[in-house]
Amino acid sequence: MIKKSYIISVVTIISFLGISATWVISKANDSIKELPAIIKKVPNFSMTSHNGTPFNQDSLKNKISILDFIFTSCPGPCPIMSSNMRTLYKQYKLHPNLQFISISVDPEYDTQDVLKLYADANGVNDDRWKFLRTDMESVKKLNREGFMFMSESLPAGHSVKFVLIDEEGNIRQYYNGTDKGSISILRNHINSFLKNFSKNA
Amino acid sequence: MQRYFQFSILSMVFTYLLIFIGGLVRVSGAGMGCPDWPRCFGRWIPPTSLSQLPDYIDPEKFNLVLAWVEYLNRLFGALVGFIILITFVLGYLHFKKSKNVLLSITAAFFLTLLEGWVGAKLVDTVLDPITITIHLLLALIIIGLIIYSSIHSYYLIVGNFEKFSNYHPHLKNVIVGILVCLFIEIIIGTEIRGGLDMSRKDNPLIESIILLKMLGPFKYIHTILGFSLLGLTLYLRKIVYNIKFKSSPFMINSINFIIILMVTQILLGESLVFFDVKPLMQLFHMWFSSLLIGLAVSVFTFWKISLEP
Ligand code: HEM
Repeated sequence: MIKKSYIISVVTIISFLGISATWVISKANDSIKELPAIIKKVPNFSMTSHNGTPFNQDSLKNKISILDFIFTSCPGPCPIMSSNMRTLYKQYKLHPNLQFISISVDPEYDTQDVLKLYADANGVNDDRWKFLRTDMESVKKLNREGFMFMSESLPAGHSVKFVLIDEEGNIRQYYNGTDKGSISILRNHINSFLKNFSKNA
Repeated sequence: MQRYFQFSILSMVFTYLLIFIGGLVRVSGAGMGCPDWPRCFGRWIPPTSLSQLPDYIDPEKFNLVLAWVEYLNRLFGALVGFIILITFVLGYLHFKKSKNVLLSITAAFFLTLLEGWVGAKLVDTVLDPITITIHLLLALIIIGLIIYSSIHSYYLIVGNFEKFSNYHPHLKNVIVGILVCLFIEIIIGTEIRGGLDMSRKDNPLIESIILLKMLGPFKYIHTILGFSLLGLTLYLRKIVYNIKFKSSPFMINSINFIIILMVTQILLGESLVFFDVKPLMQLFHMWFSSLLIGLAVSVFTFWKISLEP
């Protein structure tokens, strides 16, 4: 019949592979769950949403936020960004602690009504995704000083980044809003934040 | 000739290790550890800190652990490709007259190149599920070809070790049946796996086991086919144990090993469904499937050699 030494070597090889794999998996898991460090605080600002409600720095408190800058008549990257944002918005429908914020960099054209239409077109049917506007000067300043983006050539030259903001209003990480790989990392980070959040609540 | 046999065994062992490491990359979520290919963040040695990233790559993609896990996988892949290349050259030198040895190792070598290209596509498509399945199936075909070639070279070196066996003519159909069902079972398995991954994205923070329960009928077909495969192999065992066929020990041991592995697969599979979707179990479930393919190909090859003079 089958030799004992044979069985012993098979068991040894399988255990060796199993133990090494467990080690790698746990290392990788820890590294994925690790939350990005605080970059800086979002400064004070004051805007109005597509529903006409006011929105300022305090509206960031006690929620995890994903924020981007867009304008509704933008031909280039915005449709891709908004489509990616919409996917996330749908995927996280069960999580009211996560909010999505899109700030218009073309407030002259993007009146509240235009933003409302844009929200409808993106299938927004609750409070979790808000489209904000304010005057051009303030938007430029927020871009430059708040988020460290270029602001000279707004609206066209706006950033394509998604910004992850924690429940205390701190910027935690930037992601490429037009890139699948980058967004899947954002998803990991959102999951870790939401898990932490429900633990603390 | 001896050299060729040794290298073909080495190719087999290393390819199996590579399949394991590839699966490990997958279950640990390190598939996109390097966002570019073949280099990692534009470097031949992956970066160890953010400051080393080139500016055309988004810095949020950098995760030290995942980058190195993926990179070691690629290095190992290159090593395996090199070993298969040497085997191919040795085959060309020593087995020019044996189509069975030479054609299969030639095909294995070129499919290995293709496999590298598919690996690059995986990174391009950000781990597209169909590409993942193709990548796995190609690996299984490569390992099958290597084993087929290796056993044939062994036969040409030591003489016909199956010359006393006189298998039932029915045997071929059963073996081919098992091979085909095994492939189908594996494809269905990867469908379940892909469905689980998709569903995980659409339902964040929900336990995998609940998502698995929500998945469609594939799951049941997979279970049923799994049990049927075991039944079919037990039947095969019954045939070859019949004393009048004088089955070789190679044949008998391989079939017994297949049965042990299938039982293990069923236990692993059921524990995925009833306890939890643990990455380590997924990894072994995938890897044992590749061992099963290798053994089934071996059994087929033994049968084929038994027809030779
Ligand atoms: C001979 C028997 C079997 C073979 C060859 C087999 C093969 C496979 C393969 C290749 C996969 C895909 C793994 C991947 O893509 O990483 C898979 C997935 C799966 N199998 Fe099986 N399987 C077998 C029996 C079973 C049984 C009896 C069950 C029990 C219900 C089962 C449950 C599962 C589950 C839940 C998954 C999806 C989770 C995962 O990714 O591992 N399998 N199987």
